[in-house]
Amino acid sequence: MEKNKIIEAVDDIFIEIFELNKNELTEDKILFKDLGLDSLDMVDLIVEINKKTGINLRNDDGIKDIRTLGDVYKFVEKFDLEHPDKI
Amino acid sequence: MKRVVITGMGVRTALGNSVSSLMDALNNDVCKIEYIKEWDIYQGLKSKVAAPCTIEDIKKIPRSARRSMPRSSILAAQACEEAIDDSGISGNDLYSGRTGCIIGSTIGSLESLKDAFETVGFEKSLDKYTSMQFFKTLSHVDAMNVAQCFKINGYVMSTAAACASSLQAIGAGADLIRLGSQDIMLCGGSEEYSVMATGSFDILSATSTHYNSDPKHSSRPFDANRDGLVCGEGSGILILEEYERAKKRNAVIYGEIIGYNTCGSGAHISQSNQDAMIRCFNQCLTNAKISPNKVDYINAHATATIHGDIEEAQAIKKVFGSNIPVSGLKGHLGHTLGASGAIEIAASLHMMDNNIIYPTLNLDNIDPKCAGIMHITEKTEKKLNCIVKNSFAFGGINATIIIHTV
Repeated sequence: MEKNKIIEAVDDIFIEIFELNKNELTEDKILFKDLGLDSLDMVDLIVEINKKTGINLRNDDGIKDIRTLGDVYKFVEKFDLEHPDKI
Repeated sequence: MKRVVITGMGVRTALGNSVSSLMDALNNDVCKIEYIKEWDIYQGLKSKVAAPCTIEDIKKIPRSARRSMPRSSILAAQACEEAIDDSGISGNDLYSGRTGCIIGSTIGSLESLKDAFETVGFEKSLDKYTSMQFFKTLSHVDAMNVAQCFKINGYVMSTAAACASSLQAIGAGADLIRLGSQDIMLCGGSEEYSVMATGSFDILSATSTHYNSDPKHSSRPFDANRDGLVCGEGSGILILEEYERAKKRNAVIYGEIIGYNTCGSGAHISQSNQDAMIRCFNQCLTNAKISPNKVDYINAHATATIHGDIEEAQAIKKVFGSNIPVSGLKGHLGHTLGASGAIEIAASLHMMDNNIIYPTLNLDNIDPKCAGIMHITEKTEKKLNCIVKNSFAFGGINATIIIHTV
């Protein structure tokens, strides 16, 4: 999956599910502190990424290291490259 | 024992999104029952009418509170906001540990349960099941969400007694204040309309099925041509407060809860039972320390089912006689199930405040089996000091509350 498609899919989730504006979505934003998410939102972010892209991140331990929106992009992109068969 | 008064009210109903709009609609004999076209796809569903709410301003509830709210909790939160504003209690009161909430419903959110089962069941997978889908299926969903939304940190509970849920919530809340355990309680019920609710009554032959083309006349309590209940939607919340506290802060007091009782019938899971109703009434009167002739008005449960209305009318006749005015509001509102008791108390308190009784809508020809009580069929002025509210539910559950002016 192309990087810009991943960014677009993740941003759509933040706009639709977390009700943020597009202009708030920059890579440096810390999910909990800057964008108002919490641990339950992270659970649902993983599900929504699955729904949008077919990428299932639920069992990947790397999730707990995600802090920023940029980390989300990178995490999805890395998973996509390493597990093309999981899509 | 402490005294318990009502100092705030809030509702969401098909007839309006405030107590004042509800009362305007009742004053004008408005009915909001309509044909639900999207139910046409359900095979075997005979009743196609309901009274859904128009939900507005959802985004006034912050996302962090709203994300776990099904439709029923949004209605409850909005009704709570109105009730809190009406009562004048503060955020500090809500977060004092001395304020609690009890909000009941029939099953919680039926639409959320359906959604969760479809997500997991169709694909036999948890991959697309969100945490919020889970939270929306909890049986205390409305109490939980309201407590989080308004930062209530005292008792938080949910009653689950089908159509008697909100009366049980109010009764239990009043008991907590009476015993000194809490000072303020937000109590009531909430219910979302759903094909699952109507369908469940439908298979029991308890719904109205002959008025799909004439929805405004489908819910007709005590009428000879009634053919069953029509599901409504809504929420009703009352602010209960310890009397001395309310007096000290010069709160508007709508009435005092002087009696409450709930009991089972031990007889049948679905059939109303007048002997159990009579026991419920008599114990409630004993608890209130009044005789039946002190009651000025009875707001009946009156769902418009064939059997239930007869049992209630007979029970009222045997305990209260034929001289106390009786009416029910489900001709206007439909049956809002677990929310009905609280919504109809709010309306009854407004009637008491204005010394007026609104009639039972669509009661054109009184069923002879429901006769012998004073049915109100047109708007009636009367000095009201003491009112009785009934709710009866599946499982043989009965609940009655008596409220007096202060």
